[in-house]
Amino acid sequence: MKFTLKIWRQNGPHERGQFVTYEANEVSPGMSFLEMLDGVNQRLLTQGEEPVAFEQDCREGICGSCSLVINGIPHGPDQGITTCQLYMRRFSDGARITIEPWRARAFPILKDLVVDRSALDRIMQAGGYISVNTGGAVDGNVLLIGKDQAETAMDAASCIGCGACVAACKNASAMLFVAAKVSHLATLPQGRPERASRVSAMLEAMDREGFGTCGNQSECEAVCPKSIPVRFIANLNREYLRAGIVESGLPSESQSPYAESS
Amino acid sequence: MVRLFSHFQSSVGKKMVIALTGLGLVAYVVFHMLGNLQLFEGPQALNKYAAFLRDIPILLWTVRIGLLSLVVVHIGLAIQLSMRNRRARSVEYTIHRYRQASIASRTMTISGIVLLVFVGFHLLHLTAGVIDLGFSERLDSEGHRDVYGKVVHAFQNPFIVIIYLAGQLGLGLHLSHAISSSLQTMGLERAALNRLLQGLGVAIGLLVVLGNIAIILGVFLGIVH
Amino acid sequence: MRRLDSKIPSGPLESKWDRHRFSEKLVSPNNKRKLTVIVVGTGLAGASAASTLGQLGYHVECFCFHDSPRRAHSIAAQGGINAAKNYQDDGDSVGRLFYDTIKGGDFRSREANVYRLAQVSTQIIDQCVALGIPFAREYGGQLANRSFGGVQVSRTFYCRGQTGQQLLLGAYSALCWQIERGQVTMHPRTELLDLILVDGQARGIVARDLVTGHISAHTAHAVVLATGGYSNVYYLSTNASGCNVTATYRAWKHGASFANPCFTQIHPTAIPPGDAHQAKLTLMSESLRNDGRLWVPRAPSDYRSPGDIPSADRDYFLERRYPRFGNLAPRDIASRAVKVVCDEGRGVGPGGQGVYLDFSDVVEQQGLEVVRERYGNLFDMYHRITGEDAHQVPMRIYPAPHYTMGGLWVDYNLMSTVPGLFVIGEANFADHGANRLGASSLMQGLADGYFILPYTIGHYLATAKLPSIPDDHADAREAMRLVAARIHRLLAVQGRRTAAMFHRELGTLLWNHCGMSRNEGGLTSALRSIPTLREEFWREVMVPGSGESFNQELEYAGRVADYLEFAELLCHDALHRHESCGAHFREEYQTEDGEPRRDDGRFAYVAAWEYREGAVPILHKEPLAFEFVPPTMRSYQ
Repeated sequence: MKFTLKIWRQNGPHERGQFVTYEANEVSPGMSFLEMLDGVNQRLLTQGEEPVAFEQDCREGICGSCSLVINGIPHGPDQGITTCQLYMRRFSDGARITIEPWRARAFPILKDLVVDRSALDRIMQAGGYISVNTGGAVDGNVLLIGKDQAETAMDAASCIGCGACVAACKNASAMLFVAAKVSHLATLPQGRPERASRVSAMLEAMDREGFGTCGNQSECEAVCPKSIPVRFIANLNREYLRAGIVESGLPSESQSPYAESS
Repeated sequence: MVRLFSHFQSSVGKKMVIALTGLGLVAYVVFHMLGNLQLFEGPQALNKYAAFLRDIPILLWTVRIGLLSLVVVHIGLAIQLSMRNRRARSVEYTIHRYRQASIASRTMTISGIVLLVFVGFHLLHLTAGVIDLGFSERLDSEGHRDVYGKVVHAFQNPFIVIIYLAGQLGLGLHLSHAISSSLQTMGLERAALNRLLQGLGVAIGLLVVLGNIAIILGVFLGIVH
Repeated sequence: MRRLDSKIPSGPLESKWDRHRFSEKLVSPNNKRKLTVIVVGTGLAGASAASTLGQLGYHVECFCFHDSPRRAHSIAAQGGINAAKNYQDDGDSVGRLFYDTIKGGDFRSREANVYRLAQVSTQIIDQCVALGIPFAREYGGQLANRSFGGVQVSRTFYCRGQTGQQLLLGAYSALCWQIERGQVTMHPRTELLDLILVDGQARGIVARDLVTGHISAHTAHAVVLATGGYSNVYYLSTNASGCNVTATYRAWKHGASFANPCFTQIHPTAIPPGDAHQAKLTLMSESLRNDGRLWVPRAPSDYRSPGDIPSADRDYFLERRYPRFGNLAPRDIASRAVKVVCDEGRGVGPGGQGVYLDFSDVVEQQGLEVVRERYGNLFDMYHRITGEDAHQVPMRIYPAPHYTMGGLWVDYNLMSTVPGLFVIGEANFADHGANRLGASSLMQGLADGYFILPYTIGHYLATAKLPSIPDDHADAREAMRLVAARIHRLLAVQGRRTAAMFHRELGTLLWNHCGMSRNEGGLTSALRSIPTLREEFWREVMVPGSGESFNQELEYAGRVADYLEFAELLCHDALHRHESCGAHFREEYQTEDGEPRRDDGRFAYVAAWEYREGAVPILHKEPLAFEFVPPTMRSYQ
């Protein structure tokens, strides 16, 4: 198979970028999209040119490194997968493929197709955790958690932090990312004591990083490689509303989850 | 309470205020449509209803000022957030393909502007009567202001009908995303309830638009005269 | 000759760890604030260690080469994590987990370490629950377990097929908290390129900022390496492409002994390589072997399509050779059996590298629906990668390098032979012996990071003499100079071959001669070829761009350069071990029916290799005594 690739090249965050066209020849249908790019890079290298920088690591759809907008869609034409899980048999021979980086002010381009997603880490640092010290935890079965509840938490927790939701959103909003983490921890009793401060802090950090706001278009859900549903965004909103009421001092925050089960 | 207020300073908080003011305006358009449907009961009913609304000036002006402030807050915050959103993506994609976003959700700004222009026209036209002076002061047989006559006269004019239908298109487009979107923003997500409310949202939007169109076309097609 | 002091506490096995902890010196809270610890790597071991040390009050400088600590390869572990909780009341206990791990490791691990691992395994689960990890639950709300890796009890805790991801995100969230508190300074996109030793103690690292290319020295009072394994030395493996041996190899060159490098685990059920461009092998869950039957055509070069081969012409080789365990034989045994039939020319698919994993019998017996429900997502994954529908034609599988039991030698305190250099997780050699059991790597990573290192490092910091040193100490400056010179050398070659070409060639060489089965002739020829390949690399490699910029090819070439040296060490170890044990199979040492022959009389030791510049590394032996579990032969026939 042969392809014509239009790839975004940019040397650094403050430099001007542009599309450069490359030919990808001798592509087999069983190659992954990234292996196809590897092939292009190998050829560039033997010609003494700088290869196209793109991010990848596990190549099995879980680390969240890969991040390409392929023909206008983050992670490409298939749903529920990452770029590394996309195979060339999905494209017709001779196709023109446009490859762009994630585009968002909060994700400055470092080089070519590599963007800086540390804004997501800073949102996590603002409150995406349960503050418990190592050691001294009670037995894992002290706290009974319903199967449905555990499954819902797991649905939310499966976020791989790739940032495709931001890339797909018209407003470059990180709401689905924040929603996944907030919902995961707010669904579980262990996360309840800090739920009000957590949601406020994480959303505040999201605003600070320059992400946009949610337009409820659900594009994020459609490109999410883990198909995290937008109902978690509603959940995030409810958590935020609840936090506003709690923080204004009306009802008091619930006690330790372990208190009710003992 | 200060903290609660500051809670609404965040982008999500502002979205909530937009949602709430929007829902308030939805309630108004429903009420407005239902009231106007009295057109089909004949001149007496509609004119009497109009007179009733004007009889208590405090109520009238409270509602007017309330509506105006809802509109101002709604639009003001929407402008603020869309400026923020524009900044959030400083460089646009060369190709950007939507996967599932509805047409309505993608045109909220445009439908909002259409709606705003239309409402302005509508106020000048039928409320203030600036556009068509002929009927503004006419009284009916019972001494009420002849709103019925004014409406019938207006919608016999095909240009006016086109403008109003365009306005309804804007309204319908805006509402079909706005109602369910507002509910999502306010955090309603219990799966079963959510489907019900989403359905209700579309139903309300459709009902308002259909009701309004019924009035416009009812006159234009000569069913009401 | 260096004496390897394992510092294993005396006394009964059950109380070694407790007594050891009591005898350890503590660092007072005031002093902790003045102490800095460097943690390199943010997988399960690194993230859990960094967060716990931060919590204890140390200042931690934490490094990872990824853009975010959350992307370390622990994230890809699927199956689960073992713990001796005995929640199922099926006869599990700390003792049994200890026994299974020792036996599974084919009696090449330390009893004291493994017992401690089994002991703290229960604490790990409690800690992870407290951190909000959404483990699978029963309807009654209790934690669910499954049986994994051929053991007789259900002790594996799991989060769907993403246990590694959830455990890592838990450790990452704990790390985020400490970063927010200012206890941990995180350096993402920063790669360790060398260690800094001052007066024989590990006192810092030299790191390169992968965005700007800036090389800097970071000094501390101790250094912890949590940099994972080296399966990628084989080029094709199930590891992430970034996984590398650089950190541990650099430490080795500074005097840290490297233990049992030849113990490399090959996982039987990966999707076979498709073509020469393939960059990675994808693992399929081992659970497929519960219902699938492995077979190849009875005759070599039988190119009929699988459906046309009648059962009389099929060889269900695992069932034939291991009637008792059949298709569920342990990883090392199954992998080897696959290799044997492929070497006989009976392999299927491209290049004859593959065997069928056939579900048609179970579909016939239990119906398509049952199979779809159990393995639907795996069949989908297989379909996406190969374009074949495993409901119609049998799956093809082939073994792939997956995990490395070998690593830097550490004592009971997880400290290497370099004072102040601690090694945790897959990067050390300690707990899995010659073969790792399923769901045990997550357990070991978190045990080291949350519960063992934070104690043992305290004793070192409390007792060692650690004069303060400035960041521009002469030794640090010298280390930086060497790193810069090496980068310059890589860039200066300007040859015509890419680093990937050398890496692939090295990988093929190792896979053929030091892979699933090894023999003296192959290993000696590999030891002859590797230096030649290395010379070619330094003569012909092409690394474009500059060192002062974002340069992925430079990062990669540096890692390949280290593989090209490390591969020799791997072969030396494999050559010297004249026995077959666990994942290490020497063709000369097998029984008549092709089963491995272990030699406890001569090889019941840890082989710890010491670096010698320009010479064959020196072997040191740490004898392994089995006081509590007498070694037996593993038999699965």
